Amino acid sequence: MMKRRGFIRALAATPAIPVLIAQQPAAAPAQAPTPGGRAGGRGAGSGGAPTEPPKIALSDVNDMAEGGRRFFTVAQFATLKKLGGILVPPVKGNIGALDCDAAEFLDFLIGVSPADRQQLYRNGLNSLDAQARKQFGKAFAEIDAKQADGILKPLLTQVAWVYDLPKEPLKRFVYQVHSDLRTATRNSPEAAAALANSGRRGGAGGGLYWNPIDPV
Amino acid sequence: MAKKEYDVLIVGSGHSGGMAANILTQQGLSCLMLNAGPEADYTRDRVNKAAHDLPYRGFGKPGRLEHVYQANEYNANQWVDEKENPYTYDPAKPYNWVRVRLLGGRSLFWARQSFRLSDLEFKAAEVDGGGESWPISLADLDPYYSRVEGIFRVSGRKEGWPQFPDGNFIETTYPPDSKTIQTVTDLCKQKNIGVSKMRSSQGQNGLASSINLLLPDAVATGKLDVVANAIVREITLDKDTGKANGAHFVDRHSKREMHVKAKVVVLAAGCLETTRLLLNSGLANSSGVLGHYLHDQIYGVSVVASVPEARDGKAPQGLMGGTAFLPRFRNLNKGEKRNFIKGYCAIISSGGSAQPNHFAAYGEDLQQKLEHYAGSCVSGSIYGERVPRFENHVRINKTVVDAWGIPVLHVDVKDSDNELNMAKDSADTMEEVFKNAGWEIISKTDKFYPPGYSIHEVGTARMGDNPKTSVLNKWSQSHDIKNLVVVDGASFVTCGWQNPTMTILALSMRASEHLVAEMKQGNV
Repeated sequence: MMKRRGFIRALAATPAIPVLIAQQPAAAPAQAPTPGGRAGGRGAGSGGAPTEPPKIALSDVNDMAEGGRRFFTVAQFATLKKLGGILVPPVKGNIGALDCDAAEFLDFLIGVSPADRQQLYRNGLNSLDAQARKQFGKAFAEIDAKQADGILKPLLTQVAWVYDLPKEPLKRFVYQVHSDLRTATRNSPEAAAALANSGRRGGAGGGLYWNPIDPV
Repeated sequence: MAKKEYDVLIVGSGHSGGMAANILTQQGLSCLMLNAGPEADYTRDRVNKAAHDLPYRGFGKPGRLEHVYQANEYNANQWVDEKENPYTYDPAKPYNWVRVRLLGGRSLFWARQSFRLSDLEFKAAEVDGGGESWPISLADLDPYYSRVEGIFRVSGRKEGWPQFPDGNFIETTYPPDSKTIQTVTDLCKQKNIGVSKMRSSQGQNGLASSINLLLPDAVATGKLDVVANAIVREITLDKDTGKANGAHFVDRHSKREMHVKAKVVVLAAGCLETTRLLLNSGLANSSGVLGHYLHDQIYGVSVVASVPEARDGKAPQGLMGGTAFLPRFRNLNKGEKRNFIKGYCAIISSGGSAQPNHFAAYGEDLQQKLEHYAGSCVSGSIYGERVPRFENHVRINKTVVDAWGIPVLHVDVKDSDNELNMAKDSADTMEEVFKNAGWEIISKTDKFYPPGYSIHEVGTARMGDNPKTSVLNKWSQSHDIKNLVVVDGASFVTCGWQNPTMTILALSMRASEHLVAEMKQGNV
């Protein structure tokens, strides 16, 4: 299935000045081979001063691989996926949760999270599905947007402080999954690519990352 | 082969250790500084990354650093690893101990808010009618504050208010206030609340740390040796004299046990690490007070309002933007009747936006609300003083050790009604000011983070004139062992609402100069 995220990446990957680039001569290797030895050779007899080995260009794993569902059950994952489409749809040219496989990412993230977080998600997804089956006779993943609104809107909570979340578990889950889906979407490669392609400034998550410092 | 005996061993390299090294080496003393962690290489250790290039897309590794709310996936490696360096607490009484062990310690990352304590804090017992006062006053510390402010290049606006002592500030020209900040100022004045500007250390090149403002001069004397990755396990005593004579430490990588000798030991490992070291060494606790009176400040209380005429991107020029600072305005006078003692400050920021959590909405509806309120918000964030209480304490948990086999701290701290009442008053006051301005309140909370979050923990080896009720004398020397000096925040009697860094630096400078004089006279 051709995905929208693949299409968006392809757009972002299209160089702004392809013709000019095509006319350039082939770039010289970043590092010339060391005389008398293989590139970067440092051993006896390699000759010459030690040099940096050539840097091999690496690919982004997100460009060619997909994360599979591993943590949630089929039914739970279907509910999560449906929530992504309802809670974080594409609005005004922004990427939506379905465009960037936010649910697939959360399946990974929650799968490696502490047990209380996992339980919040499992219970929450199960509860929404059960409510849909009771109210509409079908799975949450199969109800329409209006029916989903009917279930979700009473569960929304205004949160004045993100460390003081609703005490009621299902409301807490709906707040949390909404927040997580938004973050997973905003910080996705697809969102960054779409932003870069749009020419708009700001909004893309990024910053100065500290590498591990002299780890034990 | 017998190794060198240093004049002074300094444990820790943050602001307090850096200041001690700066003063002591320039007075000709040979010093060894041991730091528990490595030195960061700002070029090698930092790199720009997009959130989607991080393994967890900016969420951070789940379960890592669960007590460090300030942590994110970008900065996670700068904090102390909680698995290697655990601490314990009753789950019903959570504590957020936020630590950095890099050379320079937390001075690398502080917010640079730079305040003096006033005599409302130094003489707290006289104002509050309970608790303890410091054995020193603002007048005692004033010359040291001035010198520290000069080194750290503190900017600020002088006000002449006793609760907000002026200092040796660099000249600063402030742009005219926006209309919203002017409105807050006018409304606060009607309630006898003074409004000023933030006081902040400019430092050099955006950094106001030990490693760029204090340690270079010490190193230049040729009198300072600095060893990284040296985790001090125990202070050692001379059996004959009862004086401190060095320390056992563990190499962070190899876990090899080593010992260093010194005539004097200066502890600057941060309030709780210093206390842990003293407790593990079984020293300086004839009073039974060591580890007690742990306190810091309440953070998290906030109110957000929206200015109607600034919505939908229609704010006219000059309406939004800028900040104001409200130093303590509660309980300035003895007779003031409140349901709490002490006070709080507030930072007002104009021009922010509403956040998704402010609305019970999703999808297009949420997006419309966010756009509607974008740039129209004024927020008030409140920072208040916790009361130092004996029962709030740390002790050694002998059943749990860190990665180097050193017993960890158990933290036992709980807030009281005083903190809750103060938080409520502060949120209500901000709400009233914003409502009186005609703005819509879109978020208000009087909840606050667990103790420790402010990273301003102090008080566990407090100073005092009475050796039965305090650990240190007014010169930061142990009452029990005169050649053992504590120069970090452990010496505080009360924390105030102020960021404690300027006071820690001034106290370290003062203690270090006194130590030099005492050593010259042969008293130590």
